[in-house]
Amino acid sequence: MIYSEQLPILLMIFPLFAAFAISVTGVFHTRYCYPVAVCALIGSLYTSVGVLFEVLEKGVIHYRLGGWPPPFGIEYVIDYLNGLVLVVVSFVSLGAVIFSKESVKQELPDKIPQFYTLFVLLVTGLLGMTVTGDAFNLYVLLEISALATYALIAMGKGRAMFSSFIYVIMGTLGACFYLLGVGHLYIMTGSLNMGDLYTLMPDLYASHAILVAFLLILVGIWIKMAFFPLHGWLPNAYTYAPTATSCLIAPLMTKVSVYIMIRIMFSTFSPAFVFNTFAAANVIVWMAVAAIIGGSILALAQTDFKKMLTYLIVAEVGYMVGGIWLANRHGITGAILHIVNDALMTLCLFLVVGIIVYKTKGHQFNNMQGLYKKMPITMAAFTIGALSMIGVPPTAGFFSKWYLILGAIDSGQWSFMAALLFSSLVNAVLFFRVIEIGYFEPFADHHGHGHHDGAAIAIDEAPLSMLAPLVVVALSLIILGVYAGYIVTNVIQFAVPAGI
Amino acid sequence: MIWQLDLIILTLIILCAFATISVQDLLSAAIIFGAYSFLMCLLWTEMGSVDVGFTEAAVGAGVGTVFCIAAVFQTTRKVKVDHQMNPSKFIGLLAASFIGIVLLIAQGDFPAWADPDSPASRYLSPHFITNTIAETSVPNIVTSVLADYRGFDTMFETAVIFAAGVAVFAILRRGRGKEENDQAVAAGTEDVNQDLIIQWICRQLVPFMQLFALYVVAHGHHSPGGGFQGGVILGASFILLQLTYDLKTVLQRMSERWNVLLGNLGVFIYAGIGLLCLVLGANFLDYSVLSKILPATSPIMARSHGMLGIEIGVAIAVMAIMIGIYTNLSSHGDHEQGL
Repeated sequence: MIYSEQLPILLMIFPLFAAFAISVTGVFHTRYCYPVAVCALIGSLYTSVGVLFEVLEKGVIHYRLGGWPPPFGIEYVIDYLNGLVLVVVSFVSLGAVIFSKESVKQELPDKIPQFYTLFVLLVTGLLGMTVTGDAFNLYVLLEISALATYALIAMGKGRAMFSSFIYVIMGTLGACFYLLGVGHLYIMTGSLNMGDLYTLMPDLYASHAILVAFLLILVGIWIKMAFFPLHGWLPNAYTYAPTATSCLIAPLMTKVSVYIMIRIMFSTFSPAFVFNTFAAANVIVWMAVAAIIGGSILALAQTDFKKMLTYLIVAEVGYMVGGIWLANRHGITGAILHIVNDALMTLCLFLVVGIIVYKTKGHQFNNMQGLYKKMPITMAAFTIGALSMIGVPPTAGFFSKWYLILGAIDSGQWSFMAALLFSSLVNAVLFFRVIEIGYFEPFADHHGHGHHDGAAIAIDEAPLSMLAPLVVVALSLIILGVYAGYIVTNVIQFAVPAGI
Repeated sequence: MIWQLDLIILTLIILCAFATISVQDLLSAAIIFGAYSFLMCLLWTEMGSVDVGFTEAAVGAGVGTVFCIAAVFQTTRKVKVDHQMNPSKFIGLLAASFIGIVLLIAQGDFPAWADPDSPASRYLSPHFITNTIAETSVPNIVTSVLADYRGFDTMFETAVIFAAGVAVFAILRRGRGKEENDQAVAAGTEDVNQDLIIQWICRQLVPFMQLFALYVVAHGHHSPGGGFQGGVILGASFILLQLTYDLKTVLQRMSERWNVLLGNLGVFIYAGIGLLCLVLGANFLDYSVLSKILPATSPIMARSHGMLGIEIGVAIAVMAIMIGIYTNLSSHGDHEQGL
């Protein structure tokens, strides 16, 4: 009984204490870092699944930290929406950490304890942002995850440091905007608790200060999620980051930011304020259209596989933001479903990139020549991920796109529908080009001749610690596709705010 | 609030901000920025938020400036100035002016400064003011809000500092080979900046600084101060030693390994007390349940003691991490020679 009451905090405790354990044991031995991180994230996944089932069974969970009732203390609130996001975050981070073993050994051999300490701290931050019901607590956790991300990116080689610096500037700006917005809300209401703000604010909706607060928070989150045209920092930062880092941040950072946007829009402010008083939904859907088309076109221009994927992330952010601002049930359902699907699709593709980098030391298109013959399992998983990005049934990507298109039709936003179809077309072109390179072009030895000493890694299937998470994620894309209807009727339809 | 004083301080703050941006020498920029922080700290104090002023003085004007200076010494003092107006600068100017205007519009709806009827002073503050003693038996309301009512935030703020320490270590720390190490030891014996007067004065200063830091930590329940400020002052005493003597003097007193362990220990004390509460059957960080294991303590006093415990944890963590960050910054990550 006590155990189930304490579930919401347990899911944070595992990665937080793992950070200390990794950091301390890392002083003496580096070999314990990886298993501790894996165990902690297994714990998080286990508890977050437990929390989701609690929510499905008993409804919304409130947890008072320090035993103080809100709004005096901080509380955790878990409903259908963040229960689902929690499972996604912990599942993806577990997959990324299992995958990271060989890649970290190869790329960051001197920094293993620091890498895993920051890795679990980042997961702590992401889980905390998802689970909290307090606007200021969210900011503190945003800072933790941001700091950890900056360092994890800067640990890469070459331009990683500079890309991370740009990200530091942009990320700090985003966090400042968010904090300024929350400050405005506090001045106007005297409260920081989201649920409390929701009940206090309706009287103040006419106030300029509240409008400005909403705008500041929104722009802050947009910078964090790289919403076009505020996306400039993302492609380089994610491309030059170490492989194991990008496998964690690429699927999760933007998705958690989208979740935060939903939380702020519907649980702190209300649909009435967001869609009637603020009245900019049309403009924002147009911005989403620009994000989708801009991201897709920029992706077309790349010759670097990893960089191409980062531009697709920018386009996918447009899907979700647009879906939410369509302001109807189908659109929001599609956006929430897409948070789940896109996290897994992106993870799948970045794990493939990780394996290619591990084996061929590069992530250009020509690194992929002839890889279908050399590593069939990896490339089969890649094909599933690619089909899902394009939106081919029965993979998961089809269903969220379907709901988004239904939403666009409901609102009569034909431009958004056209952008979705255009993006699917571009994705098809992009991925079939990659598949063609991998399938038909002969394998080329990029190491040149004369480098075939004992240290060179033969190009064949990746080790089990890399392959296992990839296969699980690829299969889960199909399983998610098959059960998409089940997820929508049992979880997501309760997550869409009432009255829409 | 004395408006004449405010006017002077605010004018100086704006001047400092302009000077920091426009000055061509980065070292001067860092020092002016320190002055800016000090003026901010005066402003906070003058507005009545003494705790914030204290933190700003210790963190912003104190170690913040030292970190900036160390970074400037390790990189360059020169700045590339581009006087031409290019499109990106123009967009930046437009965006900044737009945000300025938007903020000014919002300002119009704010309650007057220090208005006793403003929502912020009407809604939650009365509860804290009337009930803090009864609920936590800590006279300093700021401490009880920081360490108990919103103790969970403070735990993660400590974790932010911890993450910053690990991040600096992860980015800057460079390993060195054994041979290189021996060479460094042989070459590093000569000392470059031995100054008898400075060293003597600082040697007298350090024990008092540390004593004051301990007072700040222990007295945080009753007066402005607490773990963050005390920890920063403790860390600053080591940084002072490092500046006047050299890196090795400090590393002899606190090795890198101890530094990492202490940094972890500090945050662990905080989170561990939270976990202990959970094990004893209450919610995370609900200190009142500690009365079960503390002899002759009521649940209310247990909250007070719990806060003292976490303040000590914060102080240890902040001290170790400040030293760690400075050591890595000043020695360019190889821990051989400081500034």
